[in-house]
Amino acid sequence: MPSTQPMIEARGVQKWYPNGFHALRGVDLSVSKGEVVVIMGPSGSGKSTFIRTFNALEEFQEGSISVDGIALSNDLRNIDAIRCDTGMVFQQFNLFPHLTVLENLSLAPVVVRKRRRSEVEAQAMALLERVGIAEQARKYPGQLSGGQQQRVAIARSLCMEPRILLFDEPTSALDPEMVGEVLEVMRKLAADGMTMVVVTHEMGFAREVAHRVVLMSEGQIVEEAPPETFFTNPQHERSRQFLAQIL
Amino acid sequence: MTSIQPGPESGSTPPLRPARPAPKSVQPSWAGALRQELFASRTDGLVSVLLIMVILAAAVGLLRWALGQAQWAVIQANTTLFAIGRYPIQQQWRLWLLVVLVAALSGVSWGLLRAFPRADRSGEIWPFNDRLAVALLGFLAAWLPAALALGLPLQLRWWVITALLVATRWLAGHWGRSWPPRLVKLVPMSWPLLYLFGMVLIAGGLGLPRVPPSEWGGLLLTLLMASFAILLSFPIGVVVALGRRSSLPLLRWASVLYIEFIRGAPLITLLFLGQNILGYMLPGGWAPDRVWRAAWVLTFFCGAYLAEAVRAGLSAVPPGQLEAARSLGLSMPQALQRVVLPQALRIALPGAVGQFISLLQDTTLLSLIGLLDLLGTARTVMANPEFLGKNAEVYLTLAVLFWCCCAALGLGSRALERRLDPTHSPA
Repeated sequence: MPSTQPMIEARGVQKWYPNGFHALRGVDLSVSKGEVVVIMGPSGSGKSTFIRTFNALEEFQEGSISVDGIALSNDLRNIDAIRCDTGMVFQQFNLFPHLTVLENLSLAPVVVRKRRRSEVEAQAMALLERVGIAEQARKYPGQLSGGQQQRVAIARSLCMEPRILLFDEPTSALDPEMVGEVLEVMRKLAADGMTMVVVTHEMGFAREVAHRVVLMSEGQIVEEAPPETFFTNPQHERSRQFLAQIL
Repeated sequence: MTSIQPGPESGSTPPLRPARPAPKSVQPSWAGALRQELFASRTDGLVSVLLIMVILAAAVGLLRWALGQAQWAVIQANTTLFAIGRYPIQQQWRLWLLVVLVAALSGVSWGLLRAFPRADRSGEIWPFNDRLAVALLGFLAAWLPAALALGLPLQLRWWVITALLVATRWLAGHWGRSWPPRLVKLVPMSWPLLYLFGMVLIAGGLGLPRVPPSEWGGLLLTLLMASFAILLSFPIGVVVALGRRSSLPLLRWASVLYIEFIRGAPLITLLFLGQNILGYMLPGGWAPDRVWRAAWVLTFFCGAYLAEAVRAGLSAVPPGQLEAARSLGLSMPQALQRVVLPQALRIALPGAVGQFISLLQDTTLLSLIGLLDLLGTARTVMANPEFLGKNAEVYLTLAVLFWCCCAALGLGSRALERRLDPTHSPA
């Protein structure tokens, strides 16, 4: 069960894109250690932008965010420290195509954490074992299926031993028959107590795994509730509209 | 550690037809294939016959001229001039030493490439192409020195050098795997060292008497200028390409200004301009004479075009690659070095090599500012009353020499491209 110690603390986050679009309009969110928060919402509602601010892939103009007690500021050392502790899994996997699976996993621990390659590779093999693709370690990403690639991407994040994992629509680019294997891996991670913030449209996953579901619309949080409440008895008109569209 | 491997698919599946091997295609005979390619229909046949006649006519004419009328004495008498210009005779052993070292290191590198194939390659130690290349080398070593009417001692030297190349190739190919890994790692690093050492051998220094650049010439000067410009323009191109995409305005503007200035002027103008103003622009010792000034102009010229090739490569790498690298905690330089540049440079490679090939050919412009590169040497030879009217022989030789150099660059780059290709298709 999640504890009360906050891992992510976002207060009044405002973001404007350079073209003037007001993408985030004062968003507050607090995620506790071991908690799984699923963020849903129509496309363009700012949910991806929001989780990308957590590891400074997106800048924000007003408000404050702190991750694991470190305040996100323009100080580059803070940003690097937060990125080391925050894994991110992308919709398009973003594996490095010129490196083998094993090299994809070991690159950051060797280069950033300056750990010994042999030691990192042993850990990487254990992680690949855990996501069920140890036999593909010497292959290149282009030789794997989408589901396998996304599992490699998750293992790559885990190899940095992050305290938080961010998922940006991890199953949206997958063929339907591959969604299951990725969700299965995420389910096990949640069960192991990983703190996770997941942007997804997977109802089943949200219902089953999330401690809290957050609905965003037009750059704001419309509703925040435990999944059973959210799916059966939404409080807000926008949530009802959204659920009616996707169910 | 818990296993979170997804379970096997549930549900029963109906029995499927088993896979079977593809039907064997009938291998057409050599003549049959030719007939299919060239004479598939009446029109195809007509076009083929016409083309073959034109090609035959041209080839026969050329051969009759080359073997009958042409007087190759002009080449035979000036072999040394074409090769190294007026390099002093007492110092020529330095160039021979350099050729020997290059041959040995080439042989070792070539052999090691075959001894350590990539995991997804066949791993043959003597693939067909290599046997063909060795046969060609053997033929050239036997025929060329004789055809050039070199003295027997000189012919002997070329045989020994060719034998050295093939022997080191053989040794490294067969025994490279059992060499200590440190030694193997030393080989690629010894190329830049050999280049620097070669510079010392050619120019003098470290106790060797100096040979001023005005005495370099012919193929030596051409290759030296081209390789200097290629090697130094590469880092310039990468830095300027990154600068052009930088978020710092000053850096971006400076890069754009540099690229547009260079690309907006013909090389020959820049070469003349460089002779006059480079002395004021670069620190004292960098461009002391005409040769070095020309070398720097070629370098900066090539750098600007290369920057555009690299920029194309950089834009072809999806932005998600940089995001993924940064989100793993890599700093900007680390992400560029480990993730973005390896992919961008591989994409930029064909364009860059095209650039290098035209640079090699552009070195002929050096003759217009009075340097004795291959073309400059050729012009002095043709101006010699003894060889008046022998232009065709000289130009054909130059064309073949340039063609060989460019073909080598092209072959090398294609081999490199294949080696760097991780059989990937980015998701």
